[in-house]
Amino acid sequence: MARYDVTLDRVGGPTRTIEVDEDETVLEASRRSGIPLPYGCRTGACGTCVGRLLAIEGAESGGGATDADGAPIDVADAFAYRREPRALKPRHRNDGYVLLCIARPRANSRVAVGSRVQTELVDNPWK
Amino acid sequence: MSDASTTDDVEPDHDHEHHHDHEGPGYSTPQAAIEESEREKLAYVMSLYVGTDVDEPDFVAVVDLDPESDTYCDIVDRIEMPNRGDELHHFGWNACSSSCHVEGLERRHLIVPGQRSSRLHVIDTKDRRNPELVEVIEPEEVFEYDLSAPHTVHCVPDGKILISMLGDADGELPGGFLELNDDFEIEGRWEPPGEIEMNYDYWYQPRQNVMVSTEWAAPKTYYPGFDLDDVENGEYGQRIHFWDWENGTVEQTIDLGEEGLIPLEVRFLHTPESTHGFVGAALSSNIFHFWREESAAPRAADEASGDEPRASGEYRVEKAIDFESREHDDWDMPVPGLTTDILLSMDDRYLFGSNWLHGEVWMYDVSDPANPRRADTLSVGGTFGEVQEVQGRELAAGPQMLQLSLDGERLYFTTSLFSSWDDQFYPEEAERGSVMLKADVDPRNGTMTLDEDFLVDWGECPAGPARAHEIRWPDGDCTSDVWQ
Ligand code: FES
Repeated sequence: MARYDVTLDRVGGPTRTIEVDEDETVLEASRRSGIPLPYGCRTGACGTCVGRLLAIEGAESGGGATDADGAPIDVADAFAYRREPRALKPRHRNDGYVLLCIARPRANSRVAVGSRVQTELVDNPWK
Repeated sequence: MSDASTTDDVEPDHDHEHHHDHEGPGYSTPQAAIEESEREKLAYVMSLYVGTDVDEPDFVAVVDLDPESDTYCDIVDRIEMPNRGDELHHFGWNACSSSCHVEGLERRHLIVPGQRSSRLHVIDTKDRRNPELVEVIEPEEVFEYDLSAPHTVHCVPDGKILISMLGDADGELPGGFLELNDDFEIEGRWEPPGEIEMNYDYWYQPRQNVMVSTEWAAPKTYYPGFDLDDVENGEYGQRIHFWDWENGTVEQTIDLGEEGLIPLEVRFLHTPESTHGFVGAALSSNIFHFWREESAAPRAADEASGDEPRASGEYRVEKAIDFESREHDDWDMPVPGLTTDILLSMDDRYLFGSNWLHGEVWMYDVSDPANPRRADTLSVGGTFGEVQEVQGRELAAGPQMLQLSLDGERLYFTTSLFSSWDDQFYPEEAERGSVMLKADVDPRNGTMTLDEDFLVDWGECPAGPARAHEIRWPDGDCTSDVWQ
């Protein structure tokens, strides 16, 4: 079974890399590894577990990192969803947000995580 | 409250249909609750870490409210949930005064749902200061009924428990109602599925055979935060539903229109004969009064049924209180009050509420429910509040969930609304945690004063600052008791 390295870059906190099996979610692996991530519904509906994809590394070749600079990265190159990511709107999906409770890895990647990523999802509309 | 001999002395003109002895938990009438209850000495308060980087489960805080006690204003116990990620929100009792006919039933177990997790917890409060978690219903069991996002818990007759559920198993619409039996097992769906789309709070008035329910949005819509685009796309509710309580079917739906956007908390008057009530429309910041208007002509259906002829009629709704948006130098657009909670005093005289963004707790005299009269306002916390700190503790958000003593003299409130919405409007709430504050109410003169000696601080919880939400007393309160 394939395993991938997912580097969790906690906003305002430490950066840790965990190994994630191709058929487990990043959230499951984080709990197994004792590296906590925020979560709520675990069904892709609430957005509490959201991360933002920062970089993808070509998993097959073991090199040739595809960088995020400038061009938006496609979450589908890094993760396959177990079910539909309902908490994300099209704009979030295009911006590289990923729901870690239902995302299984398809490449080595680097993801910004932590509660502050969730607060980026929606602004105060009156301010 | 099992003293049968007192029942008939209380409220002699009260038409207690069955004219029976009072056997079960709670009080025989709202007036008995006021007269016979003791002062609240403990509060159970929903407390949460979900959505923060504090890697701890949510908990129920036991707060000491006894001014004679050495631990007054302290959190004296914390009942931790077995999992993280619940977002404890609203909760309720296994039995209340609506069960006053049921011998042997005790007001003893708290049903504590996780709003985000859809997990249901049962806490035994036999030892009031040290309650114990005794049952957990896992989310998967709830999803089997194609429901998620549990909200309001009321005990209903015969020891059963009814929970409003805001979404289907995927966090989409429609929501519905889940029923538990007196062993805290899922009995099934209460209503035939598909009666409503959106759901939120509900209240029932069994003597009138009516229930009223309100609308927030699909869980997937409100969970991540408040997005005005969703309002523009019609993803938020503005309707209320009147149900046939025995049949579990919707009899009447009223669209409140743009002035009734996001109708959240709903209350019938406590008097069991009354058909009057109030609903707070949070986003448009208006309070609507509703009542049943009887019409002279019986409906054809009633005549044809062969049953006893019932008075026919329908519910009407009228805007009764309107809170204006306010300009603030630091905000681009006028700020709505955001009326997120309302409650009625046990004697049905006063309606209290909170405008979370403005930072106001308000009190209206609703002796004439069609014409509420402003009694007093307390300006504390929030975006405009005059009092911005208590005992040197800066307030990070506005007043939100309210609870009133049964005698109507002490109003308590906490400051967290919902973790992701807090983060949008009051990001500091995550760093400082919530507080619980108290106002002394003078019901005779219709005034409120902030008690500056009272402060419970969730910012000082051992694992880090926590949020505090709904409040309940062990012996019944103004937002859980219903009379049959
Ligand atoms: S935990 Fe709710 S979307 Fe992942």
